[in-house]
Amino acid sequence: MGPGRFRPGRGLLILAMPGLPFDSSLVGSDVRRAALTAVLALTAGVLAACGGSATPANLVSVSNGGCGVGWHLAGPGWHTFQIYNGAAEGGEVDLIDPANGAVYAEVNGLGPGTTSPMSLDVGSGSYAFRCLFDDYDPMTGPTVVVGGHTRGTPAILPITSNDLLAPASEYHAYVTTGLNTLVTQASALAADVRGGNLGAARSAWLTAHLTYERLGAAYDSFGNFDDEIDGRPDGLAGGVNSARWTGFYRLEYGLWHGQSVHQLTSVADALAADVRALRTSWPSTEINLLDIGLRTHEILENALEFQLTGHDDYGSGSTLATTEANVQGTLELLTVLHPLLSGRYAGLPAVYTWLDRLQSLLNQNKGPNGQWLAVSGLSLSSRQQIDATCSQALEELAPIAAITEPRIT
Amino acid sequence: MPTDRSPESPLPESPLPGPPPPAGAPSSAEPPLPAGSVPPPPDGAPRRRAFLRGALSAGVTGVVAGAAGGYAYRATRPAPASQGVMENAEAGLLPPVPFHGRYQAGILPQPQRQTAVISFNATADGRGELADLFQTITARGRFLTAGGTPPPVGIGGPPSDSGVLGPTVVPDGLTVTVGVGSTLFDDRYGLAPRRPAKLTPMLSFPNDNLDPAQCGGDLVIQLSAGNADTVMHALRDIARHTRGGMQASWRIDGFCSPARPSGTVPRNMLGFMDGISNPDTSDAAQMDSLVWIEPGTAGEPPWTAGGSYFVVRLIRMFVEFWDRVDITEQENMIGRRRATGCPLDATSIDATPDYGLDPTGDVIPLTAHMRLANPRTPQTADSRILRRAYNYDRGIDQVGDLDIGLVFTCFQQDVKRQFEAVQKRLIGEPLVDYISPFGGGYFLALPGVVDRTDYLGRALLA
Repeated sequence: MGPGRFRPGRGLLILAMPGLPFDSSLVGSDVRRAALTAVLALTAGVLAACGGSATPANLVSVSNGGCGVGWHLAGPGWHTFQIYNGAAEGGEVDLIDPANGAVYAEVNGLGPGTTSPMSLDVGSGSYAFRCLFDDYDPMTGPTVVVGGHTRGTPAILPITSNDLLAPASEYHAYVTTGLNTLVTQASALAADVRGGNLGAARSAWLTAHLTYERLGAAYDSFGNFDDEIDGRPDGLAGGVNSARWTGFYRLEYGLWHGQSVHQLTSVADALAADVRALRTSWPSTEINLLDIGLRTHEILENALEFQLTGHDDYGSGSTLATTEANVQGTLELLTVLHPLLSGRYAGLPAVYTWLDRLQSLLNQNKGPNGQWLAVSGLSLSSRQQIDATCSQALEELAPIAAITEPRIT
Repeated sequence: MPTDRSPESPLPESPLPGPPPPAGAPSSAEPPLPAGSVPPPPDGAPRRRAFLRGALSAGVTGVVAGAAGGYAYRATRPAPASQGVMENAEAGLLPPVPFHGRYQAGILPQPQRQTAVISFNATADGRGELADLFQTITARGRFLTAGGTPPPVGIGGPPSDSGVLGPTVVPDGLTVTVGVGSTLFDDRYGLAPRRPAKLTPMLSFPNDNLDPAQCGGDLVIQLSAGNADTVMHALRDIARHTRGGMQASWRIDGFCSPARPSGTVPRNMLGFMDGISNPDTSDAAQMDSLVWIEPGTAGEPPWTAGGSYFVVRLIRMFVEFWDRVDITEQENMIGRRRATGCPLDATSIDATPDYGLDPTGDVIPLTAHMRLANPRTPQTADSRILRRAYNYDRGIDQVGDLDIGLVFTCFQQDVKRQFEAVQKRLIGEPLVDYISPFGGGYFLALPGVVDRTDYLGRALLA
């Protein structure tokens, strides 16, 4: 479902640091977890900031011999530090509250010899730079205290890979349960098709498809299985007539375009088989810890792009139902992340407000018999209400990915 | 005499079709197409000034800063428009246009190089959220027009700004003009009793070909600045901060060309200068009688004081057809020389055509756009409009012709007395074969935001 997305994560540094002098029990599991998670690619080091030859007054120099020695803050207000990496290795620099390790600002992937800006609104509090270089122990520089009672950019307690293990485990279990249901539903669907009960099959199709969409699959969560189970004809030669198009949408197209039982039986059987194969492989599938936060907005980004536009309506007119299933998948992610978010994200109540509102709107816009309507059948005002609400929910969800990015403490 | 190419056109040359102007209802003004003309001030009086009232941030070397802050094409006419303005516009260095004031700051200035008009429908849930929406638009407009550094967010979320203008937002002469449409005054927000007296859905005139999907809207926002990236940045910023409160319905981007030759007036896609004559925006009395709704303006609710009716018309121009028309016919349809902008009976661009000497239209045809739009009779003085036109370019149509034309906008005190009266006189003009209005709407540009505690629509929503 769409192109993958890469954000340079902290996993790189964990992987690159063989000996860890601090909290090694936690980090050890982080290392194992990260090693199992291939997505944390080893490219962050090359994403270095531009080098600069000028020496700005607000330059903070870091190296493996010192982390921001001799810097100062004149007082509260907006500051942009120019962080210069004088070490021979790439690294990361955080500005933290040394009392609890909460992070005000960070610069990722700072290449050797390069300079990168770090901006923040300095408020009252304690500040220190912390440097994380490849092959060196983390260092924390001297503390600078800003007095008074001025609010600035808040420091947020970083979330570690270890913190994300429990949410990942809960989410894994949620998907397991959903896949068990899905296997049963996909088999029933295939039986309806095979038996020529296409009316029943259309109903069974919707039930099974929503179960799948509720899992929160987005951006290749299920690897190749997602292409087989829920792929689009986009990009296939022949489009909707391509023999390579399989899965729910392929079956939807046939069921709602008068295709024959003979034509559709193999499609439905293949779908049921792919779903079973996914369930078989799922117990050994790792959830990328970085993805848990990303998915909190990516699921509905996809819904806005493909469902609310009607793009993924291949005949059933059920993209609003799919959107609701996607909301449910998003809510599950929020449930598993809730313990981590509740103290860190002040906007969390607004997230729920807008998701609730979106669910209500989706259910208010059904037909007279309670059936789902195609988006093309909605009034302009209904459609705009739904689109606006989904878009606002996405704005509220967006910070979660940044907050839950696994970081080193 | 103009040649009428359209066999079905009811009016090859003279009498006007359509309803005659009501007795005693003066009608005339800037027409919604190429050449409008209004009587010039007496000889010797300064003509349309590029610098608006309150203007002129004194003598900044190389920076010609009108209150408009915009692109003062005609700043020094008859001398060529200031090179400094051109260069500053190119560099994105136009100074900020003060956001606060009794009137919205984007109404009086000359057209800027770039604009976007976006229509939205309100999706706010109830009056309280609607007020939040207007407060948010106000806050974003205040920041964007002044420029500055977007707030850092630390690790708490994605960047607070799109970065399209770099790390520091430049003002670039940005203006943010906000209007409300008649549909906002339905039963959703309890505003029906406060509907401005003359605010209706846009009329469909006989020569229109309106697409409902590109008409109307609860709100309209016009963003104008020296550069397209500034306009786009502002649009993305405002949309990002208002996603739940309103949803865009249609949008058009426009541009205003440099005056060619320098010192004249920017041209539209028909090749004619557009907006040669306009009310004098430096003349407060004229603005008070033609542009602004003021306390006591007949029939208007008090909250509208300081506002202005804002008409947007999206007008396709069939330029391929136009380019196959000989110059005499083109000029007869407009009433001006294409090369110079002069009325056909004069040798100065600013000359007032003397229709009294030409009662049968031997020089300037009776059906010339300029003449129909503004017959220049004394009774028509109060129906002039403040015309602000931009060109648009939307690619190609289904037969491979260019989809280009005009984003016509105008401001006036009374949309019926002014825009509609002009438009009705233009029904059936020969020019209609070469143009096709397809979208737009009537709006009321809200009163200005007087200070930091005020917000757009405060009096409406109070």
